Amino acid sequence: MITSMDSLKEDLKKQIIEQLNLEDLTVADIADDALLFNDQGLGLDSIDALELIVLLEKYHGIQLTNPEEGKEAFKSVNTMAEYIRKRKEA
Amino acid sequence: MSKPALYIAGASTISHQPTFRNPGFSAALGPVGAASALINPDYKEYIDAGLLRRMSKVLRMSVACARDCIAQAGIEQPDAIVVGTGLGCLQDTEKFLNTSLTVEGLLPPTSFIQSTHNTMAGQISLSIGNHGYNMTHTQNTLSFEHALLDASMLLREGDRNVLVGAADEHIEILDDIAGRLGLEAASPLTSGASFFILSNENTGNALGKLADVYTCGGTGSIREEIDAFLDRNGLRAGDIDLALYAGDSVHGAASNVSYAALSGVYATASAFALHYAADVLGSGVGVRNVLICNTLRKNNLGLTLLKAVEA
Repeated sequence: MITSMDSLKEDLKKQIIEQLNLEDLTVADIADDALLFNDQGLGLDSIDALELIVLLEKYHGIQLTNPEEGKEAFKSVNTMAEYIRKRKEA
Repeated sequence: MSKPALYIAGASTISHQPTFRNPGFSAALGPVGAASALINPDYKEYIDAGLLRRMSKVLRMSVACARDCIAQAGIEQPDAIVVGTGLGCLQDTEKFLNTSLTVEGLLPPTSFIQSTHNTMAGQISLSIGNHGYNMTHTQNTLSFEHALLDASMLLREGDRNVLVGAADEHIEILDDIAGRLGLEAASPLTSGASFFILSNENTGNALGKLADVYTCGGTGSIREEIDAFLDRNGLRAGDIDLALYAGDSVHGAASNVSYAALSGVYATASAFALHYAADVLGSGVGVRNVLICNTLRKNNLGLTLLKAVEA
């Protein structure tokens, strides 16, 4: 059964690929728990972090202003989805 | 008195013609068609995938050409990087401005960072790890000639190898703007990037010699300016075996070829002409003196004189 969290993660992967121009990747290539800023994962960098902040506001209406929150939220697609869920519930 | 000649030790162009890694291309080119498209190499051969994903068309073209001609010249690092561009990174500029009109709140940083004119020179230096002089000249249709003048001065002050080039990219809105302004160019608007290694000595593989460069804004008589330029170099119009022109042809030259018809129209198409000239000189077909006459914009005159290595 596809839950709303699964659907959110799927959307997030599509949005990350588009926003960061990850031309060679598809949704299937990004594991839910892959580390976004680790070379073993997606190998993103500091400019990508800024793009992810824009992504959160553009697609989900969430403003991330606390850098410490970002550190946690941007670990993986799982943590991003969880962060979005919590912010929307708040 | 003639200036000491500088040697073209490497040349690389990405354009709407089969110019990239294709020595001798000058013998086979016809006018560029209205439906022509940019001929892209496999950029992954030249640019790390992590950097490539962020690069717009003009950045990819510039970095690939720069790396290709550095490899041709067989050098580790140039002493300086000098780039000319008329309109800079238009694709990123358009993207950033469009986003700022449509998105409320934060704007994506990449297109903003990469929308400046000096992004090409910066990306080349990051790509090859160069810490030398890094300069971008933007002077409308004379941008490339100004980059050449800067590179020439650096070499005459002691630099050994300078990477100098130019790039401009076509985006759709340019056709729209040209239409609204009623500008009907004889050739289509295109994209192009050309880079060169200029050296103050010939290590044996030079394609030709750069003898002199001259620019003049708001010029009166082009013919008088050309005669005076040639006179300063000990030549007359009849000594020019091949004149490459955009705008006005060169009276008295043995042959005239419109380079704008071959490259299409973009602000720094005279860099395409320089590669074309170097390719002709390097092909050993008996051409000794080539003059590039750039009057793409009527009141901007750019003159570049090239000679065969043995001349």
